[in-house]
Amino acid sequence: MKRLAVLIACLSGPVCAQDSKSVSFDKRSTFDLMKPETQAMQRDDASNPAMLWVQEGRALWQAKAGSTDKACQDCHGDVASMKGVATRYPAYSAAQQKVVTLGQQIQFCRAQEQKAEPWTAEARPVLALSALVGLQSRGLPLAKTGPAEARAVAEGRALFTERRGQMNLSCAQCHDDHAGQSLGGAIIPQGHPTGYPIYRLEWQDLGSLERRLRNCLNGVRSEPWPSGSSENVAVQTYLRERAAGLPIETPAIRP
Amino acid sequence: MAAALINVQKTVRKGEIIEIKTLMAHPMETGFRTGLGGQLIPRDIIHRFVCTFEGVEIFAADLFPAISANPFIAFTFMPQQSGTLTFRWFDDKGGAQVETARIEMV
Amino acid sequence: MVSHVLRAASLAAVLLMASPAKAQMIVGDAMPEPLAGAGDAMRGRAIIIDRQKGFCLLCHAAPLPDQRFMGNLAPNLAGAGARYTQAQLRLRIAMPSHLNPDTLMPSYFRTAGLYAVAMPYVGKPILDGQQIEDVVAFLMTLKEPAP
Repeated sequence: MKRLAVLIACLSGPVCAQDSKSVSFDKRSTFDLMKPETQAMQRDDASNPAMLWVQEGRALWQAKAGSTDKACQDCHGDVASMKGVATRYPAYSAAQQKVVTLGQQIQFCRAQEQKAEPWTAEARPVLALSALVGLQSRGLPLAKTGPAEARAVAEGRALFTERRGQMNLSCAQCHDDHAGQSLGGAIIPQGHPTGYPIYRLEWQDLGSLERRLRNCLNGVRSEPWPSGSSENVAVQTYLRERAAGLPIETPAIRP
Repeated sequence: MAAALINVQKTVRKGEIIEIKTLMAHPMETGFRTGLGGQLIPRDIIHRFVCTFEGVEIFAADLFPAISANPFIAFTFMPQQSGTLTFRWFDDKGGAQVETARIEMV
Repeated sequence: MVSHVLRAASLAAVLLMASPAKAQMIVGDAMPEPLAGAGDAMRGRAIIIDRQKGFCLLCHAAPLPDQRFMGNLAPNLAGAGARYTQAQLRLRIAMPSHLNPDTLMPSYFRTAGLYAVAMPYVGKPILDGQQIEDVVAFLMTLKEPAP
């Protein structure tokens, strides 16, 4: 009934959100929900533990690897040339014929250009490089997706809004409908991927969006999607579209 | 994991109090957690941090399992001369991580 | 004539195969038949505060002064025992989706019609019949509404 009412409002109004249940009217980063101490920790690069991974990423950027004995730097130059790149991921890759995350693109470069041994999806070097590249776009708004990502966005939206797990809950029920209310002691965030990879205090570790989604799925007692699967990428692509306009905070701290 | 991040200004004026911030990558395993099989994960922490300036100890701290992973230690210092800061982290395995930073008096 | 039939159908007991062994009857907005033996209120309280078992406090506040960090996604449980009968509470825990298909509240006795359930939980309800009876027994003791 509520959905019907919103649909009618959408058709009659001059300006309307793409998703009837999207949060485009008041998009807030999870940063706003954190305590001042945690916010201060993220603001100060000297105290943000994620900068340890960024430092490692800088070394990896310059390190020659693989049978071609090339470093990222040899093709891309200074890492500052990566400015703006993270705003466009996940993105359709013509070379890979599918939508890929930034981490997957880094892995692809490693395999194709450096001809080096692949890392596992959540391996420290991938996260270090993702954090380093993401940092170059800090402050820039996440870009809207394009036609090439449309199918992934649609698939991701479907996954985001369907009930799953033993608890029979959908992502949208909490993060669209009840964002701002409390689940136990935690305020439910809208869940925008502005800061990935994040240093999550709960993990005491840096982790990818995929890792965070796995926590969510375990929470509703649903089977997590396989690492790097099209479902994972689809949800991440939808989340990017849903968050478009919010500035990148990589590498963020989250509770 | 042998990575430290030192944040200290390179030049100091006479009489200026500087803040030195350090981050060290370390899991700081408390020894109270259990692994997947139910067995206790052994303790592995940095238990002491010492900073010397030109060989003189200016700051030291004893750390315990309550300190989170990747410990952040910050302190203030008023140097009287140019010199080298030496930072040492001592862990339970008997190892020590050493980093240095140079400050110049202007 | 047709309306009479429809009325009878809507008032009639709805057979609900919630578990292989037992059919649970829903009458109106209640589930009159117990799911197991007599409920123990103290066990029910323990289930309610357990964030792995009932995890009720993630969404509901309750008159439990020793508990902290209660959510605010659902009504306060205070007074539940005065507002509802035992049978009504039983339905609202076992199969709340019957009353409101859009509800946030999980159906604690449901095993059918779920999607992508994690391996350890496939085919198992969140709480078994006895646990639900225990929770209902405790909720029945909550006679005072929230201040």
